[in-house]
Amino acid sequence: MSSIITIRNLKKHYPIFGGVFKRRVASVKAVDGVSLNIFKGETFGLVGESGCGKTTLGKTILRLLKPDAGNIFFDVPESIINEVIELERTNPKSKRLKLLRSQYDIATFSGERLLRLRRRMQIVYQDPTTSLDPRMLVKDIVAEPLVAQGIAKGEEARKLVVDILKKVGLGEQHLYRFPHEFSGGQRQRIAIARALVCRPEFVVLDEPTSSVDVSVRAQLLNLFKDLQKELNLTYMFISHDLSIVECISDRVAIMYLGKINELSPTYKIFKNPMHPYSQALIASVPIPDPKKRKERAPLTGEVPSPVNPPAGCRFHPRCPLVMDVCRKEEPQLFEVEKDHYVACFAVAKR
Amino acid sequence: MTEDSLVAVKNLVVKFYTYAGVVEALDGVNLKIRPGEILGLVGETGCGKSVTSFSILQLVPPPGRIEEGEIYLNVGGKTLDIRSLPKDAIRQIRGKDIAMIFQEPRAYLNPVYTVETQIGEALLTHRKNEFLQKAIEALEKAGKKSSFEKRVYERMLKKPKSLVTKIMAKFCRKKTLMKEVHKEVVELLRSVEIADPERVAKMYPFELSGGMAQRAVIAMALSCQPLMLIADEPTTNLDVTVQAQILNLVRELRKTFKSSILYITHDLGVIAELCDRVAVMYAGNVVESADVYELFEAPLHPYTKALLESIPKPGEEFKSIPGTVPSLINPPKGCRFHDRCQYEMDVCRKIKPEFIEVKKDHFVACHLYGGSK
Amino acid sequence: MDLSAKWKELKVSWQPRIKEWKFMLKRIRESPLALIGIAIIIGFVIIACLAPVLAPPQAGWDPFMLRPDKDLAILTPDPTPPTTRHIFGTTAEKFDIYYGCIWGTINAFRVGLIVVAIALVIGVVLGTVAAYYGGLIDEILMRFTDIIIALPGLVLAMALVIAFPTAIPLNITLIILVVSAVLSIYFAAFKPQRKYLLPNQIILLISLFLYLTNPIVIGLNMSKLDKVLISLAIVGWPGYARLIRGEVLRVKNEDYVEAAKASGCSDLRIIIKHILPNTVYPLLIVVTLDIGSIVLTAAALSFLGIGADPNFADWGNIISMSRTWISSPELLVRHYYTFLIPGIFISLFVLGWNLLGDALRDILDPMIRRR
Repeated sequence: MSSIITIRNLKKHYPIFGGVFKRRVASVKAVDGVSLNIFKGETFGLVGESGCGKTTLGKTILRLLKPDAGNIFFDVPESIINEVIELERTNPKSKRLKLLRSQYDIATFSGERLLRLRRRMQIVYQDPTTSLDPRMLVKDIVAEPLVAQGIAKGEEARKLVVDILKKVGLGEQHLYRFPHEFSGGQRQRIAIARALVCRPEFVVLDEPTSSVDVSVRAQLLNLFKDLQKELNLTYMFISHDLSIVECISDRVAIMYLGKINELSPTYKIFKNPMHPYSQALIASVPIPDPKKRKERAPLTGEVPSPVNPPAGCRFHPRCPLVMDVCRKEEPQLFEVEKDHYVACFAVAKR
Repeated sequence: MTEDSLVAVKNLVVKFYTYAGVVEALDGVNLKIRPGEILGLVGETGCGKSVTSFSILQLVPPPGRIEEGEIYLNVGGKTLDIRSLPKDAIRQIRGKDIAMIFQEPRAYLNPVYTVETQIGEALLTHRKNEFLQKAIEALEKAGKKSSFEKRVYERMLKKPKSLVTKIMAKFCRKKTLMKEVHKEVVELLRSVEIADPERVAKMYPFELSGGMAQRAVIAMALSCQPLMLIADEPTTNLDVTVQAQILNLVRELRKTFKSSILYITHDLGVIAELCDRVAVMYAGNVVESADVYELFEAPLHPYTKALLESIPKPGEEFKSIPGTVPSLINPPKGCRFHDRCQYEMDVCRKIKPEFIEVKKDHFVACHLYGGSK
Repeated sequence: MDLSAKWKELKVSWQPRIKEWKFMLKRIRESPLALIGIAIIIGFVIIACLAPVLAPPQAGWDPFMLRPDKDLAILTPDPTPPTTRHIFGTTAEKFDIYYGCIWGTINAFRVGLIVVAIALVIGVVLGTVAAYYGGLIDEILMRFTDIIIALPGLVLAMALVIAFPTAIPLNITLIILVVSAVLSIYFAAFKPQRKYLLPNQIILLISLFLYLTNPIVIGLNMSKLDKVLISLAIVGWPGYARLIRGEVLRVKNEDYVEAAKASGCSDLRIIIKHILPNTVYPLLIVVTLDIGSIVLTAAALSFLGIGADPNFADWGNIISMSRTWISSPELLVRHYYTFLIPGIFISLFVLGWNLLGDALRDILDPMIRRR
């Protein structure tokens, strides 16, 4: 399968200013060296707890944030990506590398070219109450991407808006209403309509079902599946809810403190998680069956602050399999079985 | 019905008089919590779980009003009718007999006081005499038999309400009393599995992480050894690993403190992990209440069945409940679930089903099981 | 789409906004203070509109200038109490107080609205730019604002009024030259495109040519009152700038602003369509309160003699004519009508706007919260 998104060694740090002259004293290392690819047409699940950097990663891929290091390739042929990797390894200062990067690597884009990119990748936010402008009518909210990018306006835009509203389960009668007149689930549908109105290829779904009721969640998830088939979309589904990710994703990556710990097809990772953090995470999820109760908490302690992540493997202070090498070096993702990548020295040893 | 229960709620009706209309938040809620058991109250947003818990403590905010119903609390062999108690008596119950913890702990802790000050406030409100006694004993042991402080404490024990006592107390620095309280606070923080409780006691709420803040709030709630703890979605905002730790903590504390717990949540997994009995709420009514194993194995009410089916299972289609939760301003007549129910009958549209015992300790409000008596 | 369908669509599109307005009106109706405030202001508006009818000016004279009643001037040098001929009496210079108060209403509205409008435009633009772009721009603009705030308001207004020349020669060519020079630097640096640069450079060259050969100068004649207006506006804008800066900072980080960015909106579009409509409510409240206080300040300036011309029909001006006997209580009581009646007009005007502002605050807050 061809990759629609390839990111390599992506880093995004938020600076913390302090002191009298507001100098950069420290930084929150939200995303600290993430490499992965997302195949065309798949649903890629990104899981992690709060503060692990998954939302930051999603927004950085969309260039809503400017990355501090790394490459992002959107729909670029594999040969060029390989050439860039080769050049970065052998001759990082070559002019050819610079040329290639400025042409294909969207981490370097800005201005007009970034604007044209927006048409092809979009985002659906977590909370539909705050992601829709409370003072705009639904018609204007959904038409905004069309108008802002100059794709359509007036009558033509209205037709496209009605078309996409019907696809998400709303109708023409909802055009002239304000967002606060709708329920949470309907508002999320409006947000989805806005994201899809310009027919993007790649959509980042940032915890889209966390703020809605349980009974509405299933409706939205079915909607995502149907829309994916109908409009040929590729999803990046960010969530902290493992049970939903298990049901909707094709592949899953588990993040911890800015790095990916494990990456594999869904059924493999949930049947046989290999990284100790993944194991603890999956074991912590409460199962809705009282006969399967657990008696102890699988993981102790709290997530350390991303300002000062632990040296070496970030998980080592809480890891039951910690070894000496874990405290000094950072493990890299390597292939344990087919398509199943883990970043752990203990697992590598086996 | 009230004899074997710690708290019993019967036919509670609560209405909110808002600009948009009258919101019939609770429409005859029946609940029973037995001593020492964990009752899970599950339902979607807006079904009235929080309002029920607030009503038990008479904390329903205006424009809400409790219109009908009875709330009984069995404490010390007596049965108290909470609705008829005067304000002072209710304040005695709050925090001491029934304590409450909330969803966002840092929002419910005062940001300008340290953890120690706030837990200390809770302790001093309800267990003041105990600490005064301890302070007096500590002073006696230290040899200061006739110090000003000791006399103030003794006077506070004997004549707490006299003006002279109050003036003397204002001038006294009460160091020993505060030391005793501090010792107890550290012990409490240790019992909720906070590492380094001495340091955490002196922290401010914004310095605590979500899990630690929730533990501190639990410590505060349990400080006065309440008979019942109401937990309103305490782990919803926490990470799943921290949630597992807190659930474990609650289980352990139940063994030590022997309080009953009313655990409110919308997560069926947490219910299955933690609770002994479950009550399912929908649109202001308790529709089913049963033992947890029985509820998951053989649910009776159509809504409970639909809820259990909507839990996502890998490889299967997502099943949702058609329709949406009705607005409570003009709720549907009869059974409030009828327009989304696949077993809808004629009578469901007209008459509200009664909450009756269909099997042993298994209550349902549905016409399928003869709720129209 | 034909006309009737378009009309129907327009009606439907306004439905939800009409519903919101109806909700607000209902709240207004329920608040007695708001109704009183609105009644007062509507009363003043009626007076202002009907001024030519209520107090007919003499043909040939500028209606805003008071003219002395020559017949009475011969009789006595003192102000005359209210009679049938002069309903509110006259001042020492024999100006009809009734006439002055009626036409002063128009002046009051003029002063209040114009000053607030100018201050609002300056303040909103500067505050929004500072808050939206942040960083160095924010620092510079805010320090500039702080400087203006640090200067004592009334004193600054007085100084500006005195220092402003009555006739300002505006060299239009120079202004256009400078503006197009700045713009050309900006375009060259940020947006090197033909459609921006070409017309700009043409204008630059033309204005340079004109400036050197035949500059166009317009002499701007400002009456004393206009100077007061401008100086009050200059003193008043920092408050609005700070207020809207706070609001924009709050709204800037909301999800829907980022969503608009993700949809491809330009900065300008985001500011105008998303940020401003959501930040304007606290400003509305302050604006209504300010209209009243600006009129008070203008009256104070007139009382000190710095405001309007001596014969101008302005409330403060009329009161200033009673300056001479403030020290003597007996005269004060005898000629009460010279200051009491214009004073009542001023107080009622300010009271009306204040009540409206308070009522707006009470109404708009829950409306925001309701969302």
